[in-house]
Amino acid sequence: MALTGVTDSPAVALPPLTEEDTARSLDRARVHEARRRGSRWPLMWLLVGPGILAMLGENDGPSMIAYASDGAQYGLGFFVPFIPLLFAMAYVCQEMCMRVGAVTHRGYGELVLQRFGSVWGWFAAADLTLTNLITLVAEFVSIRVGLAYFHLGSAVAVALGLLLVVFTFSGGRYWRWERIVLGMALFNGLFLLAAILAKPHVGAIVSSLDFSPFPGGSFNTLLLLLASTIGATVTPWMIFFQQGASADKGMTPRDIRHGRYDTAAGAVLAAIFGIGALVAGAALLTHNGAGIQGFAGAGFPNALRRVAGSAAGTVFALGLIEAGAVAILTISASTAYAAAECVGVAHSFNTFPREAALFYAANFGIALVAAVVILIPGAPLLSIALNANVLATVLLPVSLVFMVMLANDKGLMGRWANKRSTNVIGIAVIAFVGACGAAYGIDSFLQTTHLIG
Amino acid sequence: MTTGATTYEDVDGDRSAGGRDGRPDEHFEDETIMHLERDQFVAETSRPVARAPLSPRASAALWALRLFAVVVSLMVVYTFIRQLH
Repeated sequence: MALTGVTDSPAVALPPLTEEDTARSLDRARVHEARRRGSRWPLMWLLVGPGILAMLGENDGPSMIAYASDGAQYGLGFFVPFIPLLFAMAYVCQEMCMRVGAVTHRGYGELVLQRFGSVWGWFAAADLTLTNLITLVAEFVSIRVGLAYFHLGSAVAVALGLLLVVFTFSGGRYWRWERIVLGMALFNGLFLLAAILAKPHVGAIVSSLDFSPFPGGSFNTLLLLLASTIGATVTPWMIFFQQGASADKGMTPRDIRHGRYDTAAGAVLAAIFGIGALVAGAALLTHNGAGIQGFAGAGFPNALRRVAGSAAGTVFALGLIEAGAVAILTISASTAYAAAECVGVAHSFNTFPREAALFYAANFGIALVAAVVILIPGAPLLSIALNANVLATVLLPVSLVFMVMLANDKGLMGRWANKRSTNVIGIAVIAFVGACGAAYGIDSFLQTTHLIG
Repeated sequence: MTTGATTYEDVDGDRSAGGRDGRPDEHFEDETIMHLERDQFVAETSRPVARAPLSPRASAALWALRLFAVVVSLMVVYTFIRQLH
């Protein structure tokens, strides 16, 4: 409900104005002006952001390593069509987040906490913090792997990641934060460039669109691939992030159509770049039987350099640095939204640190803890990186169930509540993700404890 | 959350939110502050939404899902730790 015409006595009726309101209203003024002029592309430019950031942020270090490992071990078959399918699933989930954020102007954490009780809100925040911390460690590993290609060490990776987090804080404006991260995220296209430099056989890519050949190997390895690939596409932090960022950006129900374009554009770009990593990794398929573990480490860009040339290796290494850096920013932001929303204090990039101490402290703090972990000598960083996606997949169904409940809540959403078709697809996604995550967790556990062979 | 740090006059100069004559008009729409919806203001979003009633069956289903997620997570973590050795 727009304020225009609401009252003739705004000094009495309008709520007290904060600096956060002022900053957000400046952004909304530009949106309003573009809409009034009928400027289609400027309006699109103003309203894109959260969707692309969520999707490209999820094309993070561990995800790109997972895609490349899929390609290195199994080739292009099955995964070329599977990755877009997963991003189509991600679109369904993220569209709901955007819509709920635009209609309610509130983040996921605070809505779950207020609508369903503090127990569920804190469970959601705890899940998020755990998976985010592990994933952030993996992001620093990704940067370190990329930097190792240029003979730079862990300390540089830590400094780079933390400096980026601090740098994006400057300005006290969501818009500024979003544009900086968006500009960086577009370099996710380096993986597509790496794929082109690897000179793939176009016919092989096209022929793999029929989901064949299906990956061979043990049942457990297949489950690991499915779980880690799903975890590379849809994760709990994306839910917190896109809803929180949509609200922080000041999106309203009038912006939902553009929010859908934003989310769809993010999904398409992420799928293309993810396939780029897969294709680049597939260049290693016929070279010494590259396995998931064997090429997940610092050797991946080097292995690519030996097979496809130094340009491909360099671009892939730069891509890993970019993927890790962007994900550090978006995942830290999702942690900050969740922490501040659950405590009930200011949670916006449209504030300065002095006004939203917890929000900024959580943002920087979780990145700092993850950075410290990668400096621990002998820490099992590569195993952490590979398992981060699996754990996210296992915990995702709970977050998705609450997301669907919120999007169906007519008391909150009114006419913007989910349609029946969205619910059917959403529930199917939850069932698929839950089944894959659970199957891998249970099968691995039974094998580890020797209860099955 | 911070409240009352800025006034409408600070943002819009000498123009009140309702326009110079105190009534909504075309200029009213052009004023920056007017482009926020009422429920977008921090003062409004700071108010908690009402608690949704959860049926016993829905609560039980949510607890079952939560328990299931915790158990499978522990299995993944256990497997991860064992594989390190």
